[in-house]
Amino acid sequence: MLKNFHDGLATASCMTSQKVTWQKVASLDVLRDGEAIGIDIAGTTIALFRLGDEVHATSGICSHEFGVLADGFIEPADGTVECPLHQALFDIRTGKAQCAPATADLNVYPVRIDGSDILIDAACVQRANEATLATTAAPAAAREPAAVPGLAGAGHGRIQNANPASDGAATFTRQYVWPDDDLSVIPDWVYTDKLVYDREVERIFHGRTWNYVALEAELPSTGDFIRSNVGPTPVVVARAADGSINVFENRCMHRAAEFCRELSGTAKEFICPYHQWTYDLRGNLIGIPFRRGIGGKGGMPADFKLQDHNLRRLNVTSHRGVVFASYADEIESFADYLGPEVLREFEATFDGRKLNVLGHYRHSLPGNWKLYHENLKDPYHATLLHTFLVTFGLLVAGNRSLMLTDGSGRHGVMASAKSDAKSVSGDAKKEMRNFQEGFTLREPRLMDYVEEFDSPWSVTMATIWPNLILQREMNTLGIRQIVPTGPHEFIMKWTMFGFEGDDEAMTRHRLRQGNLMGPAGFLGLEDNEAIKFVQDGMQRVPGGKHLVKLDPQTPAGTTDTLISEAAIRAMYRHWRHEMGL
Amino acid sequence: MLDSLQPAANNRRIEALLLHRELEEFNSAYAAALDEQRLTDWAEMFTVDAFYIVISRENADRGMPVGLIYCENQGMIFDRAFAHEKTEMFAPRYLRHIIGNLQVLGEEPNGDIRARANYVVIQVLFDRPEAKLHQVGVYYDKFRRVGDQLKLAERRCVYDNLLVDNALCLPV
Repeated sequence: MLKNFHDGLATASCMTSQKVTWQKVASLDVLRDGEAIGIDIAGTTIALFRLGDEVHATSGICSHEFGVLADGFIEPADGTVECPLHQALFDIRTGKAQCAPATADLNVYPVRIDGSDILIDAACVQRANEATLATTAAPAAAREPAAVPGLAGAGHGRIQNANPASDGAATFTRQYVWPDDDLSVIPDWVYTDKLVYDREVERIFHGRTWNYVALEAELPSTGDFIRSNVGPTPVVVARAADGSINVFENRCMHRAAEFCRELSGTAKEFICPYHQWTYDLRGNLIGIPFRRGIGGKGGMPADFKLQDHNLRRLNVTSHRGVVFASYADEIESFADYLGPEVLREFEATFDGRKLNVLGHYRHSLPGNWKLYHENLKDPYHATLLHTFLVTFGLLVAGNRSLMLTDGSGRHGVMASAKSDAKSVSGDAKKEMRNFQEGFTLREPRLMDYVEEFDSPWSVTMATIWPNLILQREMNTLGIRQIVPTGPHEFIMKWTMFGFEGDDEAMTRHRLRQGNLMGPAGFLGLEDNEAIKFVQDGMQRVPGGKHLVKLDPQTPAGTTDTLISEAAIRAMYRHWRHEMGL
Repeated sequence: MLDSLQPAANNRRIEALLLHRELEEFNSAYAAALDEQRLTDWAEMFTVDAFYIVISRENADRGMPVGLIYCENQGMIFDRAFAHEKTEMFAPRYLRHIIGNLQVLGEEPNGDIRARANYVVIQVLFDRPEAKLHQVGVYYDKFRRVGDQLKLAERRCVYDNLLVDNALCLPV
C-alpha cells in the first residue's frame, strides 16, 4: 500500500489552511522504486521520487545551479538525492540541503496517491512559484519562499526561463527589473516579452477579472450563439432553453478542435465536426459516436462518463445587457468589480434602454494590448495627435474634462465636454501646433451632439479591465473587445450599437458620426497608427523604457487635467501587483 | 461579325459594349486618383447626393449598416478627402487599386446604371518588403450621367477580409 505524504507535512511554501488543487501528474507505473522522474506543472519543474512505497515531490532543479535532480543519483537507504551537476546532496523527504555547494533547501510539495495516479497540489506549486518570483534577484541560496507569502511591495522579480528537458548547459535566466520601483518609468519588456505575456494570460485574462464577451442583444433567443474570446482563448457564448447565457471554451474535450467556426448563429447543440462529439447549449457533453464500439470491439473504456468531459465552463455575469465571463469562480460582483464611480459612467451609457446592434468592425493591431488601455488613459494625446478634433472644435486643450480612475487603478474613464472652437485661447493654440483655423465641414452634422444621456460629458471613453473599451463619442456608441494574440499584436472587435426606439434619423446620425472611430475613423485610424509606431520603436531599440511623468501632483489616479499620465501610472500599480513584478 | 440582318440587335450589343468600356475606363480613372492620392479628384467622381460606404461582408450579409467609412453625400466625401489630406496622421504608404470582373447589371427606373466589379487594394509600407493585400471585395455601384460626365451615385464597397490590417488610411 502506497502512502500519501501530505498530511501534516509542513512544507516550505504550503500552509495547510491554503487552497489545495490536486492535479494528476504521472502514473505510478512509470515511477520505479529508487528512481525519479521530472515533471512540469505550469512551467515549474518538479522531481518525483519513489522510495519503496513512498512517493515524494521536490523542486526539480537544484537550489545551487541548474542541475536537474531527476537525473541525479538516488540513495534509497539514506533517502537522498545527489545533484548530477556539482554533487549537492538533499534529503528527498524534507528537501533539506545536506552538503555544499547547496545551502538552500528544496521546496517540498504535497503528494497524494489515488489508485495508480500520482497527484500533486498544483496550488501549492503555484504559491511557491509566486514567492520565488517575488524575491529579489538574489542568488538561489537566499530564496526563502516561506518568508515571502505575498507579492505586494515586490519591486524586483525574476522568471526562470529554462527548459527542463534540455541539458543543464542551456540555462537562460532573464531579469525583470522595474526601474527604481518608479511608476513614472515603464520598461519596454512590459510590452515585448513573451513570458510576461504568458503570465498576463494566466493571471489577468484567466485570473480574477470580468472579461467582456457579448451583448445580450446579440443572443435574444434560445440557441443563439456568438464566438468570442476571453484573453486569447476562444469561447462560445450561447443562450440555453432556460434563458441562461453560457460561456464555454471553444475547444472539444476529445482532440481540442475549435469546433464552432461561425461568427454567430443559432444552434440546437454544438457538434464537433471532427468526430461528432456533441455538446448542449450549456457546454455539457451529451453524446459521442461509437462509445461502446462495434460488435463488442473498440469504444471508450467502460468507466468513461460523459459528465466528466463537459466543456470548460466559465463564470458568467450580465449587467445592463452586457455579458462578462471569468475563469475565476470566486470573484466579486460586477458592480463591485467596477467600483461606484466607473459603474456610474457605465450605467450612464447603458441607461436601461434596450440595445440595437448596428454592426462590427474587426482589425488587428501590431502593438501590445496594454497600449490601447494607455491610449485611453492618456488625455494628453487627444488634442495633439487628433488634429481633426481640434480643427473642427470637438476637443481643445481647455475643455472641461476628467480622467477618472477607480480605486484599484485598473479601470478608467476619460471624459470631456464639447465646447466651441472659437473660444480657444491664443496660448492653447500655440501649443497645439496642428491647430488650423477657418476650416469647416461640408457636412457639419457629423459633429452634432444630440443630448440623450444623464451625464455632464459629451464624450466618455471607459477602459474596463482587462478587455473592454466602452466608447460614447457623442452619439456614436461602441464596445471594443481586446483579444490579445501575443506580446506584439492584438485583435480588436468592435460592436457598434444604438437603442431600441432610435428613429431612422437617429440611427443615421450614429452611423454618420461613426466616421470618427474604427480602423478607418478620423480619430481611430490615428490611434492604431500611433500604437503601431510605439511597438515598432520598442522592438528596434533593446532595453528601453517609457516616460509617463506628466502631472506629478497626482501620483496615480483621478485627475481633472488633460495634461496628465496619472491614470497610466495607476494602471501599472495594479498590473505590477497582479503580475508580481 | 455583325449580322447585317439584325441591325437593331447589333446596335444594342454595340451600346452594351460601349457602356461596359466606358465604366471600365471610369474605374481605371477612379483607381488612378486613389493610387496617386488625388483625393479631391476622387471626391469629384461622385454625384452631389452620392452614397459611399466601405462595409464588411459580415455586416452586409447580416443586414447591419455599420461601415468603416459611411458617407451620405458628396459633402461627406469631400470632408473625408480633406481629413485624409490635411489632418490625418498615418505612416506614408503606396496603394494600388486593381478593379476587374466588371458586370453591368441593369438600369434603375431613374436611368442609373447598376454594375458590380471585384476590387483588390494592395498596400506597400516604406519599411517592409512585401506588398500586402490590404483589402479585397466587391463594388456594388450605381452610375449616373451628369451632363457629359459619368458619376457614381452609389458605391458600396463590400470587403471580404473582415479583419482589417491595423487601419484603413485611405479610401477604397
